[in-house]
Amino acid sequence: MQQALESDAPLIVYVDIKSPYAFVAIRPTLALEKSLDMRFDWRPLTLDIPSYLGSARKSKGKVVESTRSASQWTGIKYGYRDARRYAERQGLMLKGTEKIWDSSIANIGISWVMQKDRERLANYFETVYPPFWRRELDIEDVAVVEACLEQAGIDVEGFADFVQGEGRARHDALQAQLHPGGIYGVPTYVFDGTILFGREHLPYVRWHLEGRKGPAPDVAYEIDSLEPLPC
Amino acid sequence: MLTVFIDFKSPASFLALAPTLALAQETGVQIDWLPFSVRPFSIPEEQAEETVGERHRRVRAIAQRNTHLHYARVQGRDMHFSKTPAGSDAALAAMAGIGGDPVPFIRAAFAAYWTEQANLDDEAVVAALLSSLAMAPPDWETAREKLVSIRTKAEQSGIFESPSYVIADQLFVGREHLPWIGSLIAAAPVG
Repeated sequence: MQQALESDAPLIVYVDIKSPYAFVAIRPTLALEKSLDMRFDWRPLTLDIPSYLGSARKSKGKVVESTRSASQWTGIKYGYRDARRYAERQGLMLKGTEKIWDSSIANIGISWVMQKDRERLANYFETVYPPFWRRELDIEDVAVVEACLEQAGIDVEGFADFVQGEGRARHDALQAQLHPGGIYGVPTYVFDGTILFGREHLPYVRWHLEGRKGPAPDVAYEIDSLEPLPC
Repeated sequence: MLTVFIDFKSPASFLALAPTLALAQETGVQIDWLPFSVRPFSIPEEQAEETVGERHRRVRAIAQRNTHLHYARVQGRDMHFSKTPAGSDAALAAMAGIGGDPVPFIRAAFAAYWTEQANLDDEAVVAALLSSLAMAPPDWETAREKLVSIRTKAEQSGIFESPSYVIADQLFVGREHLPWIGSLIAAAPVG
């Protein structure tokens, strides 16, 4: 069984397709992986959002069901605005979701790619993340996820069975280990027993993976250019 | 002008102080320091039968504490979390009433809270802190009224957390945004 904090890779990265924070972390993390010529151990973490952040459903842009408090809404709205402005810096569109999705099938897709065709993982992220955040994908439909995999050039023979069988079992077993292991959100970076949540830790992760030369950096959302972009 | 909302009992505010002052020194931007009280940081007790949500909040709080301590070490800063965190409203009220440079008081208040676990909601403690800096204590009633007034205006403008940065009508929560904030300062018209 996969252990939540253990890997042969230099870095474990936990992500969830339905997380806007993970969405804006994907490209910077892939860029780090490429620049270091390393292979990170990418894993799914399917967030159970209603359990800690209340639930809500929107229709035509209006909230039609909600168990969230005013302060929860304030934080959630800021979180989306914040992720959106950084997504826009990456040339990506980020629309707020209309409901809380079950992203487990698309997340099991990550494990499928890691197992079947590791070199195409970045392709899969590109075929699933940006369209999902443009509200173009129903990621609860296995056929839709298969189409993303195929578009990424990944063989889907057996994927539907994997989702219902081995893939689901591995996914669920891993999820059960996360809270006991101290992991609660995405993106989470794990190395040498250190657990860091959020892409603001990428400068520190890079410093660590490059051999800890010089002073350790503080947290930062790195930006590509010093030219400010409109929000 | 960069507006920064802080709370002495916020661990993220404590760790934001030095990088924010460094940015101010580097860019020459003037900072308007304002108080914004947040809930004291605490870790929920583990329950015999936790719901998923309760467990999530406990695991998240532990991870947040560990991350703050991690970066306190990175910054070479002494930092201790109290099991029974004290308040900070008296110090925030005093800060609101300071007419000149508030930074010496801000440094002293953060250090008192995070290294000595001082109760910064105790007016006598805060008065002693001010005295050590040769500063007079404020009229507490007026200062606390000002604190409430600042909070009301802040909430109306969308502030909900500390540290918060406001520049060019944009709100940024957390020091991780300093690269973008720095770029906005650099792009701002001179004069």
